[in-house]
Amino acid sequence: MVTNAEIMRAQKKRRRKDTLSAYLFLSPALLIYICFFVIPIIMVGYLTFHKYNVITPAVWNDYKNFIRLTMDKRVPLTIWNSFKMVLLICPMHIIVSLLLALGVNSIRNRTAVFAMRTILYFPVLVSVTAVALAWKFIFSTDFGVINWFLSLLGCDPIPWLQSSFWAYPAFMIFSLWKNVGLYFLYFYIALRGIDRSILEAAELDGAKPARKFFSITLPMISPTTFFVVVTMLIGCMQIFDEPYILTNGGPGDATRSFSMYIYETAFVSQNYGYACVLALIMMAIVLTITLIQFKGNSWVSYERD
Amino acid sequence: MDKTNSRAVARKNLRKTVISLLLILFCTFMLMPLGWMISTSLRSPLKAFQLPPSFIPTEINFENYRQAFEKVNFLSFIKNSLIVSVSATALQLVASSLAAFAFTRINFPGKNVVFIMFLAAMMIPGQVVSIPRFIVMSKVGLINHHLALILPAIFSAMSIFLLRQSMMAIPRSYDEAAYIDGATKLQCYLKIIVPMTKPTMMVMAMQTFVATWNDFYGALIYINDVDKMTLPLGLVQLNGVMGTGSKAMIIAGVVISLIPSLLMYCFGQRYLIEGITIGGLK
Repeated sequence: MVTNAEIMRAQKKRRRKDTLSAYLFLSPALLIYICFFVIPIIMVGYLTFHKYNVITPAVWNDYKNFIRLTMDKRVPLTIWNSFKMVLLICPMHIIVSLLLALGVNSIRNRTAVFAMRTILYFPVLVSVTAVALAWKFIFSTDFGVINWFLSLLGCDPIPWLQSSFWAYPAFMIFSLWKNVGLYFLYFYIALRGIDRSILEAAELDGAKPARKFFSITLPMISPTTFFVVVTMLIGCMQIFDEPYILTNGGPGDATRSFSMYIYETAFVSQNYGYACVLALIMMAIVLTITLIQFKGNSWVSYERD
Repeated sequence: MDKTNSRAVARKNLRKTVISLLLILFCTFMLMPLGWMISTSLRSPLKAFQLPPSFIPTEINFENYRQAFEKVNFLSFIKNSLIVSVSATALQLVASSLAAFAFTRINFPGKNVVFIMFLAAMMIPGQVVSIPRFIVMSKVGLINHHLALILPAIFSAMSIFLLRQSMMAIPRSYDEAAYIDGATKLQCYLKIIVPMTKPTMMVMAMQTFVATWNDFYGALIYINDVDKMTLPLGLVQLNGVMGTGSKAMIIAGVVISLIPSLLMYCFGQRYLIEGITIGGLK
C-alpha cells in the first residue's frame, strides 16, 4: 500500500533531481555568463568611481571620473561623429538596398538572381578589417584606384582619408560596398513575403506601379525598414574597425567614433575607471535605441492574421 | 487597341532593360574591388600598385603569396584563427544546446529568471563589458592566450534563444516515449533533441564561425604576441610594420583571409540565408 506521504516524498525527490539536472545542463552557459557578463557588469559599476590602471590597486577618486566627463569635449564630439556616420550611411543604405531588392525581385531568371545575391552578399561575410586594409589602398591619394578613375575624368586627386571632409564620403563608399548586401537581403526577403494576390488585385483596380509601391509594398515592408534602421543605429554607435583601420580617427578627431574613444581611454591611456563611465554612456544610448525599438514595433504595420 | 497593347509591352521591355542595366552596373561596382585585390596580389611585388590598375588578373605571379608564407608566419595566423573559430563555435553550440534543453525540457525553480537574465545580455554592447573582461583576463593570466578569445564566445544569448525556439517545436511525446523506454535526460538530449535541431545548429555554427573568424576587436585587446595573433589582427600588424616594398603582400593576405568566407558561402548558403530570416525579423 502506497501512502500519500510516500507519493509526496517521491515527487519531491524527483523534483529535486530535475532541478539538479537542469542546472547541470545549464552549467556551462551559466558559468561563462557569470564570469564574462555578470562579474564584468558589476565591475563596470565599481570602476566608475575609481582610478584604476590594472597594475596598482583601484583607488576611490571622489567622483572625479564624472566631473571629468562633464568637461570632456571629446565625448560629445565623438558621439556626434558616430551619429554623423549613421545619418550619412542610413538613408543611403535604405534607398540603395531597397532599390536593389525591388530590381532583383523583378527578375524572373533564377540563375541571374542567384548570381546577384551572391555578388551583393559576399562582402558582408568577410572581415571588415581585412577588406578595409585593401580599401585603404583603393582610397590612396597618389596611387589609389578611385583617384585614377577620377583622373581619367579630368578631376584632381581627392585626399579621401586625409581630409576631415572627404573621409565621410569615403566611409559611405566603403560601407555601401561592405554592408549593402545584408540590408538588400532583408528587403529582398520581405518583398518575397508579400502576397502577390494583393498586388494583382490592385493592378485589376487600375493602380499604377508607383501607386502600388507607395500604398502596398512600402507599408507592408515597414517592419523590415524599421528593423534595418534600428540595427543600423545600434551598429553605428559601436562602429570601431572601419575608422580604426581607414583613418585611425584622424585627421585630428574628425572621424574618431565614440567606441574608438572608449578603446583609447581604456587600453591606450590605461584609464580604466574613466573608460567605464564612457562605456556606461554607450550602454545608455544603446538601451534607449532598443527601448524605442520595443515601443516602435507598435507603430509599424504588421500583417495580422 | 492592338497599338496601345504593343506600346505597353515595349515600355515594359524598356523598363526591364533599364533595371537589368542598372543592376549589372551596381554588381560591377561590387566586383571591382574584389577583382582589384586578386589581380594586385597576383602582380609582381614591385609593380603591384602601378597605374593603371587591373581588375582582371593580367599576370600570374605568386611572389606575394610566397612572401606571405615565407617571410612572415602567415600560416600561424591562419592556424590561430582556425583554433579560435573552430573551438569557439563547437563549445558555443554544446553549451547553448544544453542550456536550451534545460529551458524547454525540464521544469525547475528560477527557470524564467535565468532565461530573462540571459536575454538581457543581448542588449549590452560588447565594448561595455570588454574593459572589465580585459581586467579579469589579465588577473587570471589569459592575456596572450587563445582562451581569452574562446571563453567569452561560448555564451551566446542569441543561439540559446534560437535553439530554444526550435526545441520548443519538437513534440513532448518524443521524449516521453524515450523516458518510458528507460532513457536518461542526457540520452534524450543526445539521441532525440540534438539530431532534430541540426538545421538550427548549422545556422548558428555558420554565424558564430564567421563572426569569430572576422573578430578584430577581441584580438586587438587580448593578443599582442605575434605568434598568437589571429588573421585580422595579424594583417593589421603587418600593415603597420611593413615598408612600402612589400605592401602587396598585405593584399595577398587579405585575399587569403577571404577564402573561408567564400567556402562558407558556397557550402552553407542555405543556412546563412536562413540565419538572417530567423535571426532578423522575428
